[in-house]
Formats: sequence, structure tokens, C-alpha cells
Amino acid sequence: MATDETKLITTRRGLLFGAGVAGSALAAGLTSAHSVQKQGEQVADAPVSDKTQERQSFYGPHQAGIVTPRPAAGMIASFHVLAQTPDDVERLFRTLSGRIAFLMQGGTPPELDDKLPPADSGLLGPVVPPDNLTITVSLGSSFFDQRDWLAPYKPLRLSRMKAFRNDALDADLCHGDLALQISSNTPDTNIHALRDILKNLPDLMVLRWKQEGSVPVLPPKPDGTHESARNFLGFRDGSANPDATDAPLMDKIVWVAEESDEPDWARGGTYQAVRIIRNFVERWDRTPLGEQERIIGRKKPTGAPYGGHTEHDVPDYSKDPDGAITPLDAHIRLANPRTKQSDSNLILRRPFNYSNGVSKSGQLEQGLLFICYQADLEKGFIAVQKRLDGEPLEEYIKPIGGGFFFTPPGPRDEADFVGRTLLEAAGHAVTRLKS
Amino acid sequence: MKLTTALSASLFAVTAAMIPRAAMADVSPLDLVGPIADYKIYVSENLEVLVTDTKAFTDAVKAGDLEKAKSLFGSTRMSYEAIEPIAELFSDLDGSIDSRADDHEKAEKDPEFTGFHRIEYGLFAENSTKDLAPFADKLMADVTELNKRITDLTLPPEKVVGGAAALMEEVAATKISGEEDRYSHTDLWDFKANFDGSRKIFELVRPLVEKDDSAFVIKVSGNFDKVDKTLAKYKTEQGYELYDKLTDDDRAVLAAAVNTLAEDLSTLRGKLGLN
Ligand code: HEM
Repeated sequence: MATDETKLITTRRGLLFGAGVAGSALAAGLTSAHSVQKQGEQVADAPVSDKTQERQSFYGPHQAGIVTPRPAAGMIASFHVLAQTPDDVERLFRTLSGRIAFLMQGGTPPELDDKLPPADSGLLGPVVPPDNLTITVSLGSSFFDQRDWLAPYKPLRLSRMKAFRNDALDADLCHGDLALQISSNTPDTNIHALRDILKNLPDLMVLRWKQEGSVPVLPPKPDGTHESARNFLGFRDGSANPDATDAPLMDKIVWVAEESDEPDWARGGTYQAVRIIRNFVERWDRTPLGEQERIIGRKKPTGAPYGGHTEHDVPDYSKDPDGAITPLDAHIRLANPRTKQSDSNLILRRPFNYSNGVSKSGQLEQGLLFICYQADLEKGFIAVQKRLDGEPLEEYIKPIGGGFFFTPPGPRDEADFVGRTLLEAAGHAVTRLKS
Repeated sequence: MKLTTALSASLFAVTAAMIPRAAMADVSPLDLVGPIADYKIYVSENLEVLVTDTKAFTDAVKAGDLEKAKSLFGSTRMSYEAIEPIAELFSDLDGSIDSRADDHEKAEKDPEFTGFHRIEYGLFAENSTKDLAPFADKLMADVTELNKRITDLTLPPEKVVGGAAALMEEVAATKISGEEDRYSHTDLWDFKANFDGSRKIFELVRPLVEKDDSAFVIKVSGNFDKVDKTLAKYKTEQGYELYDKLTDDDRAVLAAAVNTLAEDLSTLRGKLGLN
């Protein structure tokens, strides 16, 4: 039904003259309003940032947004893909890559006749700033399963996420044929990017679910060092993450390697695990500090492990076989027992905190938009999560959504696009447009 | 209805003063006179059917014939849904004829909640015609009044042409979810009527756009065909399957077609030089 704005001037006279009269009154009003120069900062002035021109590159052997330092705002958007034929899938990949290239680079959208809807939503102004945006494209298991010609090329370890012990999955927040991880300095930049993509690919994909998240911003430290941001449980998150600037380490943990048994086209790609994990924050805030720390396995103010001073100190479990220092069932000890065998289970976490609203019981719907990357989904996320099954932290968390995806390698240059190696592997001839 | 009245009323609406110079296609304001006149006929025909169908439907409700009332619900709405952009021009009547429970603060219990969906709630959720007679009377009166008002109305060309996209926006925003006919699940009937109504407008102005932008015309018709093909899978003898029968895949096909039609048809006004 109609919204209130559509109330109609029903007389013929009103129809003929209504708009004209209103229009000229407005024009007259503008002149006087504009002549008043306001002094000082006004309540509705835009907040100022010197980071809007920060830019990440879309091109390279790997997609951006994986080893890229996590900015303040992130989002996962999951889609149902309509494209079925090789030609349509190529059009999907190419259009998507074209939009991502523009959005990450920033620039001026084309100007159209004002009788047409504008090419851009305009929510970031007439010139789109890069604002540190990355958009990472990943493919779900169903993307391959539902296309006979692609099924043989599915990455070996890509599966549809199954519920783990503590999960209460909501079907409307799970899986998807294609996922976009969108991250940038501000939620507005992410939303702008999402709306641009929705507008430009309406016949090829339909949005199924999305989850936005954030990371608390810290002031720069005088000595130039960095500290991990905190999650909604108030603990630093990321302290023990493998060093993303260590390329050989990333080759080992994150990227599908040359010598791997995965299909050739997947080399340089990675597996993405997404989990929407609700935190029962009220209950957590009513839990004694000592217990909180024992559950995580780290001190809350500093993020240091037991016996350490800073978050980057490394616990030595070999000297603590009975858990006298770090409890055996502490989150960090189960997640990474730091044994020879558990070395093959390392993952790169890149999560965001989310806050959605209020539950029917009047509690905050908050939690962690957990995202991690690994070269082997089974040895990575799945193995770690299985070890965590039954952990004491479960009393305070409930996974409700997410999915498993494969993130193809990056586009090499402007003539390339995300997904090309897959199409070529499947025997679809792809023309390189320019070089 | 009287053809002559409709035609002359429409001719009145489309004067050179009202339509600015064409922007995209080389369309003169007078080119729109024919299509708008034809559309007025289409609207009047639908209103005539609406009045007749609503009479039969509300009579069944008042006679306490639950099964008959239920069976007439889906089809009765179709002529309203087909011309929704025009019916909606009268927001008071659109509110009392077609508002949904969540448009009202107290939802189903709200005294302001009247019209098709209030009766639908009684018939399908409460499975009874009890206490529905006043709502039936009001619906009949509102539909009669709507018919009268539209007969006297000069159709604004930009509303007519914009209506093609507006119908798709309706479907995209609230119908894909199945929340429109949430008690009866007859949403596919609404879908069909919304698409037909949108396509009618598109077909009427199609010759004006075709010569300058045949790719656009081919793309839009292709998407309408896709919708028809998908809906045809759910056709039954009496009408359409209930909405819960729609598979997730087909729902996605419809959603994508609707979104694409909404994007494309949003340019139709501009292409015809209308503001
Ligand atoms: C809401 C849920 C979760 C919360 C609140 C949480 C919190 C934390 C915290 C505070 C740390 C210590 C700091 C750090 O090293 O980052 C940590 C470490 C870690 N977490 Fe989680 N986590 C959650 C879910 C998960 C999940 C689902 C996984 C993987 C299945 C996971 C894997 C890890 C790993 C591998 C470490 C590093 C352990 C180490 O190497 O010492 N976490 N988590």
C-alpha cells in the first residue's frame, strides 16, 4: 500500500500547478538561506577524517582484504547466484570485478540526465573516496554443486557448513552461493559499496543475508607499536594471530600453495570460514573477572597470557602440563595447544564485533562476526572448532549463522577478473579485454 | 464504462505544458496521448471487474459462506493489484482497502485495520466469517468510492509510466517475502496481477522506446517472460498454488527478475522525457 508521502492532490488544478508553485517558492527560499554564513562547528557538520584517501590495491596474486590490516568497519554479505551458464557466470565475475575495481580506486561516477535515476547512490558525495575499501569475493559449495559444468572443479575441502555442538543455526543467516567481505574505514563506505553492487548486478545475484561489524578504534601509540583491538567480551582479539606481514608464513597458513592437491585454478586462493557468534554479554558482565580470564586464558587489561606481561608474550604449555598456569580448557589453549601437531591447524582470524538490536527477552543481540582464512579448511577452522567444542566459553556464546567459502586468487591486472582461473579450468574460453 | 469520457479525460491530461521536452527517446508529448488513453481504458475495465468481484466476495462473507469467501479471495484482489499505482493515488482508500496488519500499531486487533487483509485474517487465520460483515460492507463501499474517484480522475502521465516500476517496487519490497497475503498465502495471484499491470504499461509505451533503445525493450520483455514462465509452473485450475509451494530457487529467480525489472523500468519515465 501507499506510504503517507503519496497523498495526492486530486483536483486537476492541483495536479497541473502544484509542483510549479512549490518549486518556485523553494528557489526563492534558497537564496536567502545561502547568504547566511554560519560561524564555527555546527551540530550536523560531517565528522572529519584524514583517512578517506587511503587505498588498497585490487590486483595481485591474492585478493585484498585477507592479509590487509583490519579497518574499523566490516561486513559479510551472502548472495544467491542466478547466473547458470558459463557466459552468465563470466558476466557476473567481470561485472563484479569491474565494480570492485572502481569502488576500491574511488572516482567520479558517470553523470546521467536528471530525468534518470543517478548512476550512484551519492551517499558518499559526488566523488567516491577509496576510504581503505576492500571487497573480497568468495564462493560457497552450492555455487559448484548447482552447476554441473563447475562441480568437477570444486576445491577439495569446500563443504557446506554443518552445525557444531554448540550451534543454533538460523537458516536465514547461513551459507550462500557467493559471499562478499566488504571492509573499510567506515560503515557508510561499506554500505555504499554494497548498494552499488546490488544496483549493478540485479539479474545475476540476490542478497540473502548480511552482517555488519566494527572494530573499536585506538589512538596511535607514541612508540609506533600496535595493539590488538578488543571484542565485545572486553578481551583483546588477535594477539596470537600469525604475522600477516610474514609472506612465507602466509604462504604456509593462508594461501593454497603450488604444490597442494587442490585444483590448479585455486592456487593463491584461500578458504574463508564465517561464523556469526552471539555473545551473551549481560551474563558475561556478571561473571567474576578471574573466571572470565580463566575461560579465555589471558589477562583482561593487558591481554597477556598467564605469567606474561604483554599480549605478545607466548605461553609455554610444555612447562604447564596440568594447567596450573593456563587452564587446560581455556579458549586459547584449546584453540592452539602449541604442540608440533597443532602447528598445521593455524588460521588467520579477521573478525569484527557486531551489535544488532534487542532480543525478545530484552537482551542485547551482540557478538562476533568471526572470519578466518586458511589454506586447508579441514585442518584449519574445522579442526580448531572441533577442539573448542565443549569449551567453558560456550556458556556465553551461541553460533547462529555463517558459512564456508572459497576465496579465488586475485586478479593479476586490469584486464583480469576474479574467477577467471576457474572459468578457464572449466574449459570456458575467456578473452582478456585489455592488457 | 463509457469510452468517450475516458478518452477525453486522458486527452486533457496530456497537454504540452505538462510534459517537458523529451530527454532520451525522441518522444513528443502528443505521442503519449494514445498510450495514456488506452491505459485509462485498462484501469476502468479492471475497476469494473473489481466492483463485480468484490460484490460476490463480500456477499459470500456476509452470507457466512466460509468456503466460497475463501475461494474468491485470491482472484478478487487481482484487478486491484493490477492497477495498484493508480488505486494508491488515493492514500485514504488504499489504507482502508489494502493495508496490512503491521501498518497498524495494534496489528490485527487495531480498529483501523480494515479491508481485504482484515477479512483475510478472519477467513484464513480465524477460519470464520463471524463479525466480518461490517468489514465486508466497508470494503464494498470503499471499492465503489474508488471506482467513482478514478473515473473522474485525469491520469497524470508520469504516474502512469512510473507505475510500471512502482508495481515492481511493491513486489520487491513486500511481496517476495510472502508477507502480503500471510494468512491465505495467495501471494502468487497478487504477483501475477502486479506483473501484468506493469507489463501492460510497458507494452503501451513500448513503441515509443523501441526505435531508440531496442536493447532495453528486449531485456525488459525477456524478464517479463521469465516471470511468466516461472509463475506458469505454479498455475492450477482455479488460479495459483499457495506461496509456501514456491521453491527457494524459484523465489530467487522471481526476486532477481523483479529487481532487474525495477532497475530497468525506473528509467522508463526518463526515457520518455517525463519528470
Ligand atoms: C565469540 C566467540 C569467540 C571469542 C569471544 C573469542 C575470543 C578470543 C580471545 C579473547 C582470544 C585471545 C587473543 C587472541 O589470540 O586473539 C582468542 C584466541 C583465539 N581464538 Fe577465539 N574467540 C571466539 C571464537 C573463536 C572461534 C570460533 C575460533 C576458531 C574455531 C577461535 C580461535 C581462536 C584461536 C586460534 C585463537 C588463538 C589461540 C592462540 O594461538 O593462542 N576463536 N579468541
